[in-house]
Amino acid sequence: MKTEVKSQFRLEPVVFHTLNTLFMLIVVIVTLYPFLHTMAISFNDGSDSLKGGVYVWPHTWTLQNYKAVFVSGTIYHAAFISVSRTVISTVLGVFLTTMLAYTLAQPHYIFRKKISMLFILTMYFNAGLIPNYFLIKDLGLRNSFWVYILPGLVSAFNLIVIRTYIRSLPGSLVESAKIDGAGDFRIFWRIVFPLCTPVLATIALFIAVGSWNSWFDTFLYASSEQNLSSLQYEMMKLLGSTMSTNNDPSMMAGANTNQTQAMVTPASIQAAITIVTAMPILFVYPFLQRYFVVGLNLGSVKE
Amino acid sequence: MRKKVKRSLIVLCIGMISTALLLSGCSGSGKTSGGGSAAESSGDDTKPITLSVFMDAPGQQPTADNKIYKLIKEKTGVSLNMEFLVGDLQQKLGVMIAGGDYPDLISGNDKLINAGAYIPLEDLIEKYAPNLKKHYAEVWNQMKDPKDGHIYVLPSYGVYTGSVHDTTYQGPGFYLQKDVLKEMGYPTPKTLEEYFDIIAKYKAKHPDMIGFETLNFDWRVFPLQNAPEHLSGHPNDGGVIVDNNKAQIFADKDIAKTYYKKLNEVNAQGLLDKEAFVQNYDQYLAKIASGRVIGMFDQHWNFQDGENSLISQGKIGSTYVGFPLMYPGAKEYYRDRGGLNLNRGFGISVKAKDPVRIIKFMDALMTEDWQKTLQWGIKGEDYEVKEDGTFYRTPEQRKNADNNTWKLANKADSFFGYMPKMQGSYSDGNATDPGTQPQEFYDSLKPYDQEILKAYNHKTWAEFFKEPGPNPVYFPAYTIILEDGSAAQLASTKLNDLSVKYLPKAIMASPSEFDSVWQDYVNQIHKLDIKAYEDRMNEQIQWRIENWSSK
Amino acid sequence: MSEIVLTGEVKSKKKKKRVDPEIGVSLSWKTLKAQKQLIFMSVPIAIYLIIFSYVPVWGWLMAFQNYRPALSFWKQDWVGLQQFRFLFQDDAFLGVLRNTIAMSFINLVLGFVTAIALALLLNEIKVRFFKRTVQTISYLPHFLSWVIAAGIVATSLSVDDGIVNTVLMKLHLIDQPVMWLSKGHYFWGIVGLSNVWKEVGWNTIIYLAAITSIDPSLYEAASIDGAGRFHKMRYVTLPGIKSTFIILLIMNIGHILDAGFEVQYLLGNGLVVDWSQTIDIFVLKYGISMGNYSLATAAGIFKTIVSVILVFIANSIAKRLGEERLV
Repeated sequence: MKTEVKSQFRLEPVVFHTLNTLFMLIVVIVTLYPFLHTMAISFNDGSDSLKGGVYVWPHTWTLQNYKAVFVSGTIYHAAFISVSRTVISTVLGVFLTTMLAYTLAQPHYIFRKKISMLFILTMYFNAGLIPNYFLIKDLGLRNSFWVYILPGLVSAFNLIVIRTYIRSLPGSLVESAKIDGAGDFRIFWRIVFPLCTPVLATIALFIAVGSWNSWFDTFLYASSEQNLSSLQYEMMKLLGSTMSTNNDPSMMAGANTNQTQAMVTPASIQAAITIVTAMPILFVYPFLQRYFVVGLNLGSVKE
Repeated sequence: MRKKVKRSLIVLCIGMISTALLLSGCSGSGKTSGGGSAAESSGDDTKPITLSVFMDAPGQQPTADNKIYKLIKEKTGVSLNMEFLVGDLQQKLGVMIAGGDYPDLISGNDKLINAGAYIPLEDLIEKYAPNLKKHYAEVWNQMKDPKDGHIYVLPSYGVYTGSVHDTTYQGPGFYLQKDVLKEMGYPTPKTLEEYFDIIAKYKAKHPDMIGFETLNFDWRVFPLQNAPEHLSGHPNDGGVIVDNNKAQIFADKDIAKTYYKKLNEVNAQGLLDKEAFVQNYDQYLAKIASGRVIGMFDQHWNFQDGENSLISQGKIGSTYVGFPLMYPGAKEYYRDRGGLNLNRGFGISVKAKDPVRIIKFMDALMTEDWQKTLQWGIKGEDYEVKEDGTFYRTPEQRKNADNNTWKLANKADSFFGYMPKMQGSYSDGNATDPGTQPQEFYDSLKPYDQEILKAYNHKTWAEFFKEPGPNPVYFPAYTIILEDGSAAQLASTKLNDLSVKYLPKAIMASPSEFDSVWQDYVNQIHKLDIKAYEDRMNEQIQWRIENWSSK
Repeated sequence: MSEIVLTGEVKSKKKKKRVDPEIGVSLSWKTLKAQKQLIFMSVPIAIYLIIFSYVPVWGWLMAFQNYRPALSFWKQDWVGLQQFRFLFQDDAFLGVLRNTIAMSFINLVLGFVTAIALALLLNEIKVRFFKRTVQTISYLPHFLSWVIAAGIVATSLSVDDGIVNTVLMKLHLIDQPVMWLSKGHYFWGIVGLSNVWKEVGWNTIIYLAAITSIDPSLYEAASIDGAGRFHKMRYVTLPGIKSTFIILLIMNIGHILDAGFEVQYLLGNGLVVDWSQTIDIFVLKYGISMGNYSLATAAGIFKTIVSVILVFIANSIAKRLGEERLV
């Protein structure tokens, strides 16, 4: 490929696009495989999967694994909780982070450095499990829905990413708005926020995926309240219980070894769980992709 | 314009979701506080009460209309709000203890005992729980905490009544495939030499097979580490062997060296799976499930999943029979009488509002009638009774009992697993649970299995191992608790790290290098504070002997 | 607003960016009043942060105790630097530190190079549907847990019909299957490649977003000047995402001691233990699982100190080079 670099030959685009397409096909195969494999395992009989040989297509079809996932009636409410926390966290998180990023991108702002530093440091320390637990307890957030929203609302990483993006925007837009007498909030909301669409889509994706996938906050702060259980937490519960029945010698002591029937194994359950929990969030990205268009932001200003 | 509409839509959505959440949150807390207020009086024993329960193993919420929990609620007034462990136990315990947020009933744990999370139970049992008192009479002293002599946790397993029937065998052994036994003329290997001889001869005829398999992954290191103690005639005491009530580690001893040297030879002959030390647990199970593994040392329950897969493929011939191999002159001690399940089971927390009611509830479930309901199920639905009074299950009922989905609606296993229970047999002669009922066992055997058993002149798989005598008083040593952060615990962890690292090295070394790798390993072990570990074990063994000998 | 303004802006960008945006503003009632909107938009969020992130830092005192959760905080046993001593004096610690840094470094380099390369190549795809499909598929592995991903890696690397060995044998690159996971010197590479495989699509997203901030007229101008494809990548796209790249780099340098533990734990085994153990595994084994929260806290403090020092060094280098920076 390197030899093509310098040549201005007309064949170049054809060669490049062919090679590039081939390369992308390899990327697709390599990254699609694990997902197809998981899907195949999720539709395959657990004990059949155990002996290997299932790649991207099930050998012995069964819905047993999915039945095991949906048997507990609790997962519907848990899914509702998960969707709610994801939507609320994303909307609030994107709004607040961008607003803060806007202020920190203003070179004249007096607290710019102090607040930036305050946030940056948080990326590199963690107070620890127990102090955090006491904080949540003292704030009265235990067994409250808001424990899913408040603690991670504005993350330093997202803040910096947005700030970097805002800084790369043409400064003249803000300047001219200021000359027109617009206040900072107005400039932020009317001009900067819409201009940031591509990066906001990215950050929205990050927050949504993070919120959707998290179960540790349920584990620590809301585990005794079934009404607040999230989908991921219910799935962890299910996976754990599948594993433990296969691991506990005292439970197995009386078990009948000579059974013949389709069975679920930890691996087959896990595959089904992965598909069930990943599917909804997977569709977020394709939806957000339409905001990833080159020049979109500038175009919107031109209107 | 379009944008505005969209935004207000989002705001509206959020508003609606939040309201819905607030409402559902309210109803949730409403329920629990209702249960709390009912708990205030302990006079009425069937008044509705909700007990919060935490169990330190993963489990699944039973369905809302589960018939056993429904029955419990009807008869005792108790509903259970159960929380199962999700994620890491240590982290959970850390915040639970630090915050002092305990439910009414908590599964036993020594960290919680040390933290003072449980109330002493002796007086409560004495006053309110005649059934429990009778049940635990034999082991009363064993249940006492080594530190202050109180009973905090009621052991869930290990108290036997009537005759005990062992049918299957879930313990340690050197396993061989049934097809191998059949083809080799039903041999009974007694030593490592005879065992590996069988494997070598069989593999010569079937070169695609894997000779010997082992596992050294995560916490599942016992297939590699535990064999020497059994070969030398010791029961499963974990990381130590106990002779004349004195414990010592065996990792650095000759009984270990002999075994691993043998594995080194076996490896040089190409009989050991090349990948044995690299594979994870799933890969290990996959090999067993493929029917290609001639034999391995393991505890049966650990490879049960692989065997279940073989059974459902109809490959009964590839399932396994265990043999108790011995060093020359050693006396067999593979099978043991399950010891008391110390510190497992439930304790009542200091936060429980009505301990008397709770102990009465636990006592109520200790009658034979309740035990039958909890272990066998409901007569006519989950099991049948013959004219002579023997319990049995129809094939349909047996199938149900193996079905997880069915169990969530019809059994109370997850909770009952932690409750005090009868084991052995009831006063009417039936086994306490279907799995140990002899006839139940025979009926579920495949013809191929019957053929094998007949060839060896045995009736059950357990008979391949010697009937265990009474346990030594201290037994088992692996239930001795190493205190958190102690030198003993540190030494034990580091010893395990060394074994995980050096044993594969030694076994895979060329035979001429084995001795030097082994010497290296032993030297590393001797750098550790092994004495602290052994001292702790011995101190506790002595304590048990002094306090457990009297009933 | 017209295009002319924008292009003019972009052209003068280079000069403007070199100017340090720090313009002396003194703290006075006048500035406070002038910036009251900015203050209202940021200070409440900062207070929120102090509550949720800084208040619990009292917990660091645990590192100097022998913390037992059952006792109240002030009844704990104070042990000074004992936890730190345990950490640094353990024979294994140096090796663990080496493994952590090595794996982080490999992840950092591979992660950045592959993500940027993929972003650039994706950007060249003209068929929008194909581009979006590739993007979406490439980020799928991010949603698999390490348990599943590591299982696939282990199976692929198996000597027993593993795809990697099969392919290499077919290509005659090796004559017999290699037991990849039994060799310590392959371990870091395997972890690095596994990380790339799992995260490259996900890591690309942020660069794809950054590419959108590049003014299309720059490409047009370059084309008029006769620049080829690679010329445009080199002189338009890369500079366009440079600030994002540098910011991410500075932030990630601070995570050099966070090599994680899951993948190492799941792929590791007794034979490669001298290469696979990371700080996080060490802390899990001797800290959390022994109920020693103090050790875990001490290790956390150590990591924080190293991180903060590294980030500030990286930041000041960036500052000296006149690049985008964190603070």
